[in-house]
Amino acid sequence: MSTAEVRSKLLEGAAIIYPGPYLNQLRGERIESRCQELLADGFRRLVINFEDTELINSIGISILLGVIEAVNEMNGTLVLSNLNDSNRDLFEMLGLLGHVGVEETEEGALERIGTLSH
Amino acid sequence: MKLELTKLLHNLGALTDLSAEISSAHNFDEVTRASLHTLLGALAIPKGAVARFSTRPRQLKVVAAKGLNGVVGMKVPLGTNDALELQLRSSAIDLSAGGNGLSPFVRRNGEVLKRLRAHTLVPMVVGGEMVGAVFLSEKFTRDRFTRDDFEIINTICRHIGVAFYNHRLLVALKRKAKENQRLYRDMRQIYHDTIRAFGAAIDLKDAYTSGHSDRVARYAEAIAREMGVTGTELEHIGVAGYLHDIGKIVVDRTIINNPRPLTDREYSELNRHVTTGYEILSHIRHPWKEIAYMTKCHHEKVDGTGYPQGLHGDQIPLGAKIVTLADSFDAMTTDRPYRTRLPLESALAELRRHTGKQFAPEVVTAFCRLLLREMGGVTRERVFIPMIGLKFDRRAVTETLLAMISEFDIPRVAAVAG
Repeated sequence: MSTAEVRSKLLEGAAIIYPGPYLNQLRGERIESRCQELLADGFRRLVINFEDTELINSIGISILLGVIEAVNEMNGTLVLSNLNDSNRDLFEMLGLLGHVGVEETEEGALERIGTLSH
Repeated sequence: MKLELTKLLHNLGALTDLSAEISSAHNFDEVTRASLHTLLGALAIPKGAVARFSTRPRQLKVVAAKGLNGVVGMKVPLGTNDALELQLRSSAIDLSAGGNGLSPFVRRNGEVLKRLRAHTLVPMVVGGEMVGAVFLSEKFTRDRFTRDDFEIINTICRHIGVAFYNHRLLVALKRKAKENQRLYRDMRQIYHDTIRAFGAAIDLKDAYTSGHSDRVARYAEAIAREMGVTGTELEHIGVAGYLHDIGKIVVDRTIINNPRPLTDREYSELNRHVTTGYEILSHIRHPWKEIAYMTKCHHEKVDGTGYPQGLHGDQIPLGAKIVTLADSFDAMTTDRPYRTRLPLESALAELRRHTGKQFAPEVVTAFCRLLLREMGGVTRERVFIPMIGLKFDRRAVTETLLAMISEFDIPRVAAVAG
């Protein structure tokens, strides 16, 4: 899977990433690379929509930490959306909720970063 | 309580994922990277690196990293005491607390450890042997590692260590296997060179037969291959081709080079070369038994009138039947003390006349097919034409060969008859 195959949606100044089930494998490194590409292209507001990610494992967490750090380094904003209960519990248990925004829906996430969906 | 359960499940999941990754067919670099991700993700550690230990020079070399740029390939030199100390610890060491007894190591490698953002160092020791180490940054949340966290880190690093250990064994095994393969190839080359030297030595007995054994070996191998023979059987037939006349070593040179017809006594001595050859070769252990018997039978005839045993048809080994034809064809197409070489047309006529008597029809047809293909330029590998030249009537020879194939191709004749 190349970075071009990572499902994403580009809006004005913002981008939405859909990691799907790939986050939990080594292939998930492409998701981190894709986020870095977007940041390099000037997108500073990112949303990661977990609607198709049933479970996040430790590889997934490691990759997401890379994304969070990359966004922070660029003074960007990252909001996670559509987390199911178990994934939300996992973020809470790992103490990550204080470092990243979480919204119920993609629309809510876009609103939070100040971008309206079309 | 709910978060405790989440933590337990997450950590169990990490161990399961790690086991699956370690036993996967992925290449080892990928396994190492995935293992590092698993460890970092289990405790939300943003940066880490895995290093392999080597003794010459004594150092840790970074082979995988996460969250750190340009550190793969970096080397952390170890003093004798450092290596021993790490080996004895074999569990996570908090480097931030003054190195926890590793102060000289931390002081000496301060710059490298800084680049690795190493707050914790976990030596990977398997069976008392150091195989590598894992460097970990602090947690993403900057919280200190708890005792439970260290337990998880040690458990996961033990797994990664075992994978490193097994991989090292596998690499050593592969290297050994490769070395053995090379030795085996060299030995085989020496074996074949020695056999060729023997063949040349046999031919030196006869001023006229220089290169005879070499040609017989090549012809025999080509015919056998055409008949579908492969592997060691093909190799044995080639060797029998080189050594078929080894018994001539004890035959008087004046008999071999005699230009006049031989007397009965001379014939008897000359014919003994097949049994003498068998006696020489049969004392050498397998695989030479088959080769020895092929050389013994190379003057047998399919109609039972050959020597030394008067064997019929399939009583004669296939390899011997092939060597018989190769030997006779070369004898006919080269100069001899008692006559000059026969033209190809005459040699083929002789083969045809003696097929089913001296020569096995299936061997003759295979030979004819090969010669036809070489004449037609269909095959790149030419065995006969370089030896016999092209001074013959191509059209007549082609017709003869086609006629012989049609006449002696037993399965085809049987099918037509059926």
